[in-house]
Amino acid sequence: MNPTNLTIKPTMRIKAFYLFFIMTSIQTGSGIMGVPRYIYMQSKQDAWISVLIAGVLVHIVLAAMFAILNHYENTDILGVQTDLFGKWIGKLLGTIYIIYFFFVLLSVTMDYIQVVQTFIFPRLSAWVLASVLVLLIVYAVMSGLRVAVGITFIFFFLSLWLLVFLYKSVTYMEITHFQPFLSASPLELLQGARHTSYSYLGMEILFFIYPFISNKEKAKLATHLGLGMTTFLILLVTVISIGYFSPGELPEQIWPVLVLFKIVEYSVVGRFDVLVVTEWMMVILPNMILLAWMISHITKRLYHVQQRKVLMVVAILLLIGAGITKHEYFILQFINGVAASGFWIAFVYPIILLPMVWLKGKWKKSKKAGAKT
Amino acid sequence: MKKRGSRRGKSKELLPSSIENLKTNLQEAMHNNPDFQMQEFETGSQRMLVFYISIIVKKQQLNNHILTPLLEGDKQWTSEKLSNALPLGNSVAQTKMEEIVDALIMGSVGIYIENETELLTYPIPDQQKRQVDKSDKESTVLGPQDSFTESLTTNINLVRWRVNTGDLVTEKMIIGERVPTEIRLMYLKSLANKEDVQTMRQRLQDLVVDRIEDATPLTYYIEDSSTSIFPQFYQTELPSRFSYSLTKGRVGVLVDKSPTGIMAPTSLFSFFESTEDVYMRWNVGSFIRILRFFALIISALLTPAYVAAITFHYEVIPTPLLTTLGSSRAAVPFPPVFEALLLELLIELLREAGARLPTKVGQTIGIVGGIVVGQAAVAAGLTSNILIIVVAISALASFTAPSYLIGSTIRVIRFPLILMSGILGLIGIMASICFLIIHLLKITSLGRPYLLPMYPFVGKDFSKTFYRLPYYFNFKRSYSYKPQDMIRFPKKKSRKMKDIDE
Repeated sequence: MNPTNLTIKPTMRIKAFYLFFIMTSIQTGSGIMGVPRYIYMQSKQDAWISVLIAGVLVHIVLAAMFAILNHYENTDILGVQTDLFGKWIGKLLGTIYIIYFFFVLLSVTMDYIQVVQTFIFPRLSAWVLASVLVLLIVYAVMSGLRVAVGITFIFFFLSLWLLVFLYKSVTYMEITHFQPFLSASPLELLQGARHTSYSYLGMEILFFIYPFISNKEKAKLATHLGLGMTTFLILLVTVISIGYFSPGELPEQIWPVLVLFKIVEYSVVGRFDVLVVTEWMMVILPNMILLAWMISHITKRLYHVQQRKVLMVVAILLLIGAGITKHEYFILQFINGVAASGFWIAFVYPIILLPMVWLKGKWKKSKKAGAKT
Repeated sequence: MKKRGSRRGKSKELLPSSIENLKTNLQEAMHNNPDFQMQEFETGSQRMLVFYISIIVKKQQLNNHILTPLLEGDKQWTSEKLSNALPLGNSVAQTKMEEIVDALIMGSVGIYIENETELLTYPIPDQQKRQVDKSDKESTVLGPQDSFTESLTTNINLVRWRVNTGDLVTEKMIIGERVPTEIRLMYLKSLANKEDVQTMRQRLQDLVVDRIEDATPLTYYIEDSSTSIFPQFYQTELPSRFSYSLTKGRVGVLVDKSPTGIMAPTSLFSFFESTEDVYMRWNVGSFIRILRFFALIISALLTPAYVAAITFHYEVIPTPLLTTLGSSRAAVPFPPVFEALLLELLIELLREAGARLPTKVGQTIGIVGGIVVGQAAVAAGLTSNILIIVVAISALASFTAPSYLIGSTIRVIRFPLILMSGILGLIGIMASICFLIIHLLKITSLGRPYLLPMYPFVGKDFSKTFYRLPYYFNFKRSYSYKPQDMIRFPKKKSRKMKDIDE
């Protein structure tokens, strides 16, 4: 039996159609709440160009990921790594993925808890919120990928309506905030593009979920569309934020996207942002559930430990990690650290990996041809 | 059957025997039942014994169709002649005591002619049953009004006449080790998904239980997840609903002695469907169905949202509304959670009392409980009158569900939701909603996802689940449950659009 290829039971497979939602949901989470500020700090009023540049680059990375995966029959990145580097280095790289995903999960949890503490409950203990979130994650991941994907799918639609309420801030946009056009240097634009990376993190899930897809021929379209959706969302909030906030104000806002909703007011709802922060749980939960599923899945693949046990350990670590951190500054630093390492793992690594896969394939072919003659 | 036979344990050869012998044997086997009657007759030179349990056989039939022909004109009888001569169908020749006793218990009359090798039993059971009546648990304005009764024969009769096609299969099964109950598995052979039928059959066959009380407890034995609060099989007392599901390719189960039909597989959304939506025009039907989904959300979330907003999030309420709320709550000494739980409990008490009391008293209790207590509570400053409105609306909304089971589920779910909103405010409500959705995604009905067609996503079935479309769009059956035959009727050729004044 070839250890590289995976066989997935037909009942556990999912349709390529859902990749769109998986992609959008895992990327749109805590990152998008603050992303306009980070880009703006680099490339000022041209931040939206940075977003477009980042979008194009990310699509290229995705194409590279597909090229790597399609080089094999039905495998995930772990199989590829084992094939390329052998058992031990493959395991090591897989472990790096586990740790990395855990840190992403932890950063998302801490970020959301902080948002809730800032907007709704200033004096609520982080332990309480962390345990609520952890319980939900454990309950969902317990039933496996199909339920996780279902949550992603349903919550996507249940939170999509938030977009509608951006209309109010659109009406307050100032066109002068975008002028002068193209004043940022190319380097600044690229720097800005790089700072979107935290919002694009999570697309590595394709590396792990790909063997589960039943109709692979449609996977490319769905995934690229999902990524396009993420780019569109980031572009949308960036453009609105630049237009809405005055130049000096935007860098002051940690979560400009949430503040955008503050202007919305109706005769039945006063502070709309409170509802948005509440609703945001539906945005980040699929994110967290997919991450937790990946951690448990990878650990099982690498070390043959029961997914249940891994999940329990992850839950406890997550609870402790999110419970004890209190300082805003530390959380920001932590997120920046995750974003920086994510940049290398999620975007640079596949690009490096692709030529290696090609070379290995060529080498194998020539070896085979050599053996024949 | 075998098991119960062996319990009595009689292996000695019973027939042929003399009348006296048989009499003592029977008397012993029937445990000296006072209703057990044996009559001895002599025609010609023969002696014969007619025996039965007097209170469960039709006396008139016994006299007219058995005793009269038997005793008229001094004939010589043999068992064979007898079974040909008596105008009653399905006579059974018996030789074993256990089987004879079983037949007697089921309302048969036994006839034995002395020295024959077998005796005959004729089933003439006298079953007491209620007339087919108007349904009061699931009443509809339009469409058929009849409902199932406790008699299986009546129920099958009702369904058979509605679905009068040879395709309808009714498989007979006996469940219950100590008290056997007959059940029927019903489905349309060329339509129902074979996998579903097989799953249901398997679950029924595998069920080992001493006795099933009714159709409802039967579902608890065979459903997918016993721990869930959501019902996973649809239960109805409407033959029209039952037949409607059969013709959509579902599997139905009827249970003897129960006025409830079980249907599976089902989804959460089918609990908000009523056959009435089908009788209505499609646009009106759609409106009412969407209204019910809104009612679901209102009844589950309105009170918790009120509690959350009043306890934690005053800033969400706009100032003019806040003053109204504040003045109404000014005199109330309790925290909002407690106040809401108190009122919800009052409503539940009223509902439960209304269900238990006789109809005439029930109305009085409704007025006393609802109006008098409610008014007095507000006047005494125990609750705010806005909360009374909120609680009343959510209670009202929970009764719009066509299925009583799902209505009660929602009413129960409300209490943990109120508690969560009292502890964590909107975050608590949101966490509970997320929990419920995850839970709904997990459960299945007869192995099929409970949230079909939402997840797994089957967009083509939305017009059958969430809203309705004109009939010519519904020429196919629902994809979600994979019936054998998808096409209901041939699709109409699209009519050419006529120009104005053409």
